[in-house]
Amino acid sequence: MKRNPITITIGLLLLFIFGLLLIFFQVRTTEVAMVTTFGKPTRPVTEPGAYVKWPWPIQQVYKFDKRIQNFESKFEQVFTADGHSLLIKVYAGWNIAQPQVFFPKFGDSVVRLEEALSGLARSAYSGVVGTHPFSDFISTDEKQLKFEQIEQEVLQRIQKDVQANGYGVEVKFVGIKRIGLPESVTKLVFERMQAERQLQVRQIESAGQREASDIRSAANLASANVLSEADAQATQIRGEGDRLAAASLQVFEQEPELGKFLMQLRALEDFLKERTTLILDTQTFPLNLLNGGPSTAPTAPKISSNTTNE
Amino acid sequence: MERKGNSGLLNAVVLLITAVCVYGVGRYANSLSAQVSSAFVAYGFAVALVSWFQMRLEERERLERMEYDELTKARSTSALFNEGTDAFPAGRSREQFERYFVPGITIALLLAQGIGAWLLWQWLQQPGKPALKQPAVALSIFGVLFLLLFLLGRFSAGVARIRNDRLLRPGANHLLLSAYACAVAMLTIVAALAKFPRVDYFVAAAGAVLLGLIAFETLMGLILELYRPRVKGKQTRLLYESRLVGLLSHPEGLFSTAAHVLDYQFGFKVSETSFYRFVERNFPRFLLAQLAVLLLSSCFVFIEAGEAGLLERFGRPVAKRDVLKPGMHLKWFWPVDRVQRFRTDEIQTFNVGFVHQEEGDHHDQRPEADTVLWTVRHYQEEFNLLVASREPGATTNTVEGKRIPPVSLLSVSIPVQFQISDVKKWAYKHMKPAKLLEDIGTREVVRYLVGVDLLEIMSTGRFKAAEELRQRIQTRADAEDLGVKIVFLGLQDIHPPVSVAGAYEEVIGATQKREAERLKAQTDAVATNSWSLAEALQRRRNAEAASTSRAVGAAARAAQFTNQIPAFKASPTVYSHLAYAQALSRYSAGTRKLVMTGTNSHDVILLNLEDRIRAGDILNVPMPAAPAPR
Repeated sequence: MKRNPITITIGLLLLFIFGLLLIFFQVRTTEVAMVTTFGKPTRPVTEPGAYVKWPWPIQQVYKFDKRIQNFESKFEQVFTADGHSLLIKVYAGWNIAQPQVFFPKFGDSVVRLEEALSGLARSAYSGVVGTHPFSDFISTDEKQLKFEQIEQEVLQRIQKDVQANGYGVEVKFVGIKRIGLPESVTKLVFERMQAERQLQVRQIESAGQREASDIRSAANLASANVLSEADAQATQIRGEGDRLAAASLQVFEQEPELGKFLMQLRALEDFLKERTTLILDTQTFPLNLLNGGPSTAPTAPKISSNTTNE
Repeated sequence: MERKGNSGLLNAVVLLITAVCVYGVGRYANSLSAQVSSAFVAYGFAVALVSWFQMRLEERERLERMEYDELTKARSTSALFNEGTDAFPAGRSREQFERYFVPGITIALLLAQGIGAWLLWQWLQQPGKPALKQPAVALSIFGVLFLLLFLLGRFSAGVARIRNDRLLRPGANHLLLSAYACAVAMLTIVAALAKFPRVDYFVAAAGAVLLGLIAFETLMGLILELYRPRVKGKQTRLLYESRLVGLLSHPEGLFSTAAHVLDYQFGFKVSETSFYRFVERNFPRFLLAQLAVLLLSSCFVFIEAGEAGLLERFGRPVAKRDVLKPGMHLKWFWPVDRVQRFRTDEIQTFNVGFVHQEEGDHHDQRPEADTVLWTVRHYQEEFNLLVASREPGATTNTVEGKRIPPVSLLSVSIPVQFQISDVKKWAYKHMKPAKLLEDIGTREVVRYLVGVDLLEIMSTGRFKAAEELRQRIQTRADAEDLGVKIVFLGLQDIHPPVSVAGAYEEVIGATQKREAERLKAQTDAVATNSWSLAEALQRRRNAEAASTSRAVGAAARAAQFTNQIPAFKASPTVYSHLAYAQALSRYSAGTRKLVMTGTNSHDVILLNLEDRIRAGDILNVPMPAAPAPR
């Protein structure tokens, strides 16, 4: 059967490429690798590049990401040194530093490593938190806060445990991601916050009532002062009128009897201004006319003149 | 022919047992592809069972026909054996079966395939699939099943081909397909052992898609069956037999299968045309050329606007070309050179303090409200953050005997926007940089809140806090070499938790009430002040008027008196009477007058009937005694 040489060339080229894939492997710049020969770890590869290996099943390559990976703990309840209960969650960054140490202990399972790290982290942060009072975590006084110090203590404890156990990884950093309170305490905090608000409401309302009362009483005081002053001035004005009126009394001294008589008539005028009922008998002037004519002597007031006709 | 029926039954039974075994082993070993494969085997069992049943009907018809022929020869003249509709009950049964039951069972199969594909896809998308276990056991069982099914399938297929038996062919095809499914399951287990566990998922997903394609093919077969030209004497194709299954179980017969399909559908020999033969002859070249083009196409990379690419050669960043900017670039073919793309100009966002609805359960989505209130939850999940408190009484309160920490709780929703500023740091330093940035953002928010006062951050300190937080996150991200720029941090959504937000609103209400009380009092004060000023002025003026009146009146009276003196001196008695009479008449004009006379006959009583006279006014006046008669 005749074959096209182009087909054969392309086929051989593809065969060559696929053959290369069997004996070459790449380690990327973000990776480290462990080569095993018949299952036994024989060659760690920490630098990126292309490498040769025996084909499977003689040699097998296990690759790991050497970048910093994140680990996050659960939101766990712990106690502070002064007996407060806290919920705390931390995150940590770690990377595989020694694949030849890491691989025999955890194989290719990062999950198993994270389980191990989880135990170390829990032990570390629960122990460290227990040595600090609550005010080291939360305070409006910046000097009292020891947030960073606590994180460093947790990091050092984890690093120490990781090194002691020889995990082949490095823990780079630890951060406190969340702090919370247990649900029962949270409810009490809510109650306290509500009580504070109620207190504030009462304070504000009382202050409002006090201010209103102050304003009204001040206004009443000012009003009383103004009226008192006005009354005093009115009295003075009336006194001045009396003084001026008294100056004309000397005129009446020319005929005192007539003056008195005229004053009586003015008093009578004032007396009769209001609604008055007069009960008069027929002896009263000028009703005495009813008794029979003008012969009856009048009962008009009699006044004498102290003046003499010229 | 009895052996043929037994072969069909054997195929069905083997497929049934295999389906149970594959499913059981798949569940046991947590192999997704094996569990999906069991669906294909079960489908094969259904097809094999139907074809076996049809096989039996055809066998009965054949025996009936033979008996009839024998009887016809013996009694050729008997009228009892005239060929009629009632003479072949088995044949009629077979016809009825093909006319009604086969389309019915095909529709049932179509539904089973479609629903099965959908359910498998949904199941595969569920998270939390356990890891593979006991791979050696699974491999050995699948290996045995593969060998058994493959041998039996090849045998049945060979028998079907030699006898040209269309009814044996579907079962044989499904036996081979099941064998290949077992082989694929074995390969996925091997891949998982070779540290490619996701292969199992992808193969299982491909299986679900394949089942969907078979369902589509069945549907198209049902539709096309309606328009197919009926050629008398030509055997109808089995509706429930899948060409796709036939192709997969006989990959070597790709072209013959395609040719059969075209010939069957168009009613003439399409496979004998020159174009068809050309394609068939050069297919390997086309395939290789296609692969070569595919490989060559990997030598070109197009970085789009707003993107950056990281070029790696054998895993190392390529010197001086490690970061590719937007445009076309040449590179070595895969797998020598690889490019990772990142959207560096894109503004990316993560949220602190809440889970946005889009990120959570879509079933809990509510229409976004136009009004944002403290008393209404804004997001699907909001968590409360601790914040310090300077309020008096917040340090050592005791409620119901429990110690309350000196803290308050705050509901915080903070969107943080960032851009990738250094793509190499972003890609190479951390495995999940976005997650780390979110962790850092949350940490900085928590750290900031535990050191500030609740009321301060909710009011005057908001802008300052936003800028401070942005800087802190930026500093921390730089320290971790994340290669990002924090462009925005929003503190627009800080408020007390929903359960206590009402109490905070009452405080605001109390402030308004206080202001209202103050304004009312001011209103009253203004009225009081105005009235008092007016009243004072009125009193002063009244006094002035009285004073003036008194002084002027006195002067007037003095002047009048001076003028009256000459008259008085002229006639003191008359003048006094005159003055008295004038005064009495003038002053008493408006008064009510009662005149008491000495005798009743001369009494003159003036009554003003318009006025009401009290009884006491008259009755209490003592009557004068009557004068004695003269």
